[in-house]
Amino acid sequence: MTSIGTGYDLANSIFSPDGRNFQVEYASKAVENAGTSIGICCKDGVVLATEKVINSKLLVPGKNRRIQSIDRHVGVVYSGLIPDGRHFVNRGRDEARSFKSIYKEPIGLQGLIDRLGYFVQAYTCYNSVRPFGINAIVGGIDSKGPHLFMVEPSGTYWGYYGTATGKGRQSARAELEKLDLPNISAKDAVKEAARIIYLAHEDNKDKDFELEVSWVSKSETNGVHQFVPKELFDEAVKYAEEEQESDEDEDESDEGDEEMA
Amino acid sequence: MQAQNTLLNTEYSTDAQTEPIEHRFNPYQDNGGTILGIAGEDFAVLAGDTRQTVGYSIDSRYEPKVHDVGDNLLLSANGFSADGVQLVKVFQNQLKWYHFDNNKEMAVSSAARLIQHMLYRKRMFPYYVATILAGLDEEGKGAIYSFDPVGSYEREQCRAGGAAASLIMPFLDNQVNFKNQMDPESNGTKRRPLKYLSLEEVIQLVRDAFTSATERHIEVGDGLQILIVTKDGVRSEYFPLKKD
Amino acid sequence: MNHNPVNWGRPSDDQYGPYNYQIANASNVASQATKNSQNEFPTMHTQQPMITGASVVAVKFNDGVVMATDKLGSYGSLLRLDDLERMIQVGDSTVVGVSGDISDFQYLQRLLDELLIEDNYDMEQSNLKASHVHEYLRGVFYNRRSKMNPLWNACVVAGFDADGEVFLKYVNLLGVSYSSPAIATGFGAYMGVPLLRQKVENEEDVKKLEKEDAIKLVRDCMKVLFYRDARSWDKYDLCVITKSTKKIEFQKGLECEGQSWKFARDISGYGLPQQ
Repeated sequence: MTSIGTGYDLANSIFSPDGRNFQVEYASKAVENAGTSIGICCKDGVVLATEKVINSKLLVPGKNRRIQSIDRHVGVVYSGLIPDGRHFVNRGRDEARSFKSIYKEPIGLQGLIDRLGYFVQAYTCYNSVRPFGINAIVGGIDSKGPHLFMVEPSGTYWGYYGTATGKGRQSARAELEKLDLPNISAKDAVKEAARIIYLAHEDNKDKDFELEVSWVSKSETNGVHQFVPKELFDEAVKYAEEEQESDEDEDESDEGDEEMA
Repeated sequence: MQAQNTLLNTEYSTDAQTEPIEHRFNPYQDNGGTILGIAGEDFAVLAGDTRQTVGYSIDSRYEPKVHDVGDNLLLSANGFSADGVQLVKVFQNQLKWYHFDNNKEMAVSSAARLIQHMLYRKRMFPYYVATILAGLDEEGKGAIYSFDPVGSYEREQCRAGGAAASLIMPFLDNQVNFKNQMDPESNGTKRRPLKYLSLEEVIQLVRDAFTSATERHIEVGDGLQILIVTKDGVRSEYFPLKKD
Repeated sequence: MNHNPVNWGRPSDDQYGPYNYQIANASNVASQATKNSQNEFPTMHTQQPMITGASVVAVKFNDGVVMATDKLGSYGSLLRLDDLERMIQVGDSTVVGVSGDISDFQYLQRLLDELLIEDNYDMEQSNLKASHVHEYLRGVFYNRRSKMNPLWNACVVAGFDADGEVFLKYVNLLGVSYSSPAIATGFGAYMGVPLLRQKVENEEDVKKLEKEDAIKLVRDCMKVLFYRDARSWDKYDLCVITKSTKKIEFQKGLECEGQSWKFARDISGYGLPQQ
């Protein structure tokens, strides 16, 4: 490891001769092995989902929530170091509160992500701090409709129809690309989100996991970010499990074909 | 325009300018009510009427102001009710931290000293309240501590505080401490010897004190709340008073 | 050249320097004082309300609370705002009726909205009950009065407490609070409460008061207040909080019905005798 950075990775605010900031890149490493999180932009809203890796049987199911709200209309999910994510969310809440206190209306998603991107970027510039070890997916509805963004440890953020981060991001992104985004309904997006998380879990199969799904939609939740209701959640899980089984069957039959050939 | 200026801008013109009139916000209010504490041999009572007033208006006929704050302590702060509520609230919070820090119950003498500090630290912007603390001391004897608004305090056998304090206190001097009572045998040469009153006698005294105060003071009435602390804990009694 | 004739013939400032007002403790230092007014005077905070709302009237009945506020915002004696809503719902268990300064009321509205957003961060069901809102407001009011910078309001908080019981309690700019089966702020405390207490003197009476009678009672109070309180109005909002259905319902833009000003003819004794 030491040979990789060759001294240029010991602090923020130091570039390597070829123009890289190693601390930021290492922060991204913290994200790469974490549980998968995805965000989907649908017709009139956003769906967020995450794969919570269960590292102890003693954890109470459903107790340790990972998706958070920044304001009534904005939700966040992140992969990486959880305390970093909490700090990030707290900043988002402060920004949303101050905006609302000044302008009365809720903060727009673009405005919020601008401020949050700036905040994350600042942690790459100073020796006394380290960058955020998270990729945060921020989604919500404002006066212009649904929006979905992802912020990286460097402070970079892009707007997406669908995005994924964490260990299973590759397969998840591949699945997201197959969907007709953003033209699917919120309910369908919830089911697809569940399916994709189950599928992405294949990359992390030796560990147990718990699914968590939230949504914010004009028609379904009246523009408020909430966890999906239990019935829909159960339906989505059922769908995910069925799809997974049928995939496995296909795989098996594929393998069978090959053998035949 | 020039002419007008000439007329107005005289040597005396600035004299008329005085400092702005200041209508100062008054942070205090008198919410009436009376409290009364009496200590017995193995018990103490702390009683208060349940009326809350401002001026001639009765805001509430039932707003209890004597509190069982835990650790067999009774506390009431009578006067400006917002300060009274705040004082009790802060005390309860302090008591909670005392438990965390020391892992034991707070003695009534310690509670009294703590309340002195709480009152005195606001010496320049006082809690406008007459405060009475009741409990049992280390020997299990009834204890009443009374405080002035800035924290001066002493332990007494009995004390009345609040609107009708001056009506009740002389009655208590006579009936609890037997002031101006003589031993009939001695033909007025010897004082009647002091003795502890029973709980029944004390409750009757408290009820008489409040019915009389209700007759004579407009800010006292509606209901009487009596909290009694013994080694077995705290219990409370309620008696209606006149509502006029 | 100074063109003001009053100053002609006086020692000019550029020759003798400015006049020293300290000489002989001259009292006409007001102009000087105003210049440095920021140093001369202690910090000044709100000393009076500006645009104000009049009474809040509320009463408990056997299955909840009825509360009303009129729609007027007065600027002194001027009718300044004619479509005010002074009752705000906070979550699904609380309504706060506010009288007094309207800008402070709007500030409270903002604080309570922030409180609600914070309550919703965990996205679980709401934990914010009327008793919590009341205690929060008491803290805000008491802290502000202790800074000698009060929020100039009197509030009535109604709704359900943590046990689902009916809750009704008052709190004002001093942090003074109390509960009672019948509560009114401002002039309502003088003219509304006696009417309400005819029906509900104590909690026992509350059990005997039906919802419809409570609504009628509050509406009668609003009418009497309109008759006698010059800063009240005959258009008002009414709120009914019902325990059995756990519902909070508003009736907005009601008017005082069945007004009769006949009594006015018989009033005498305020000034010149009437013919």
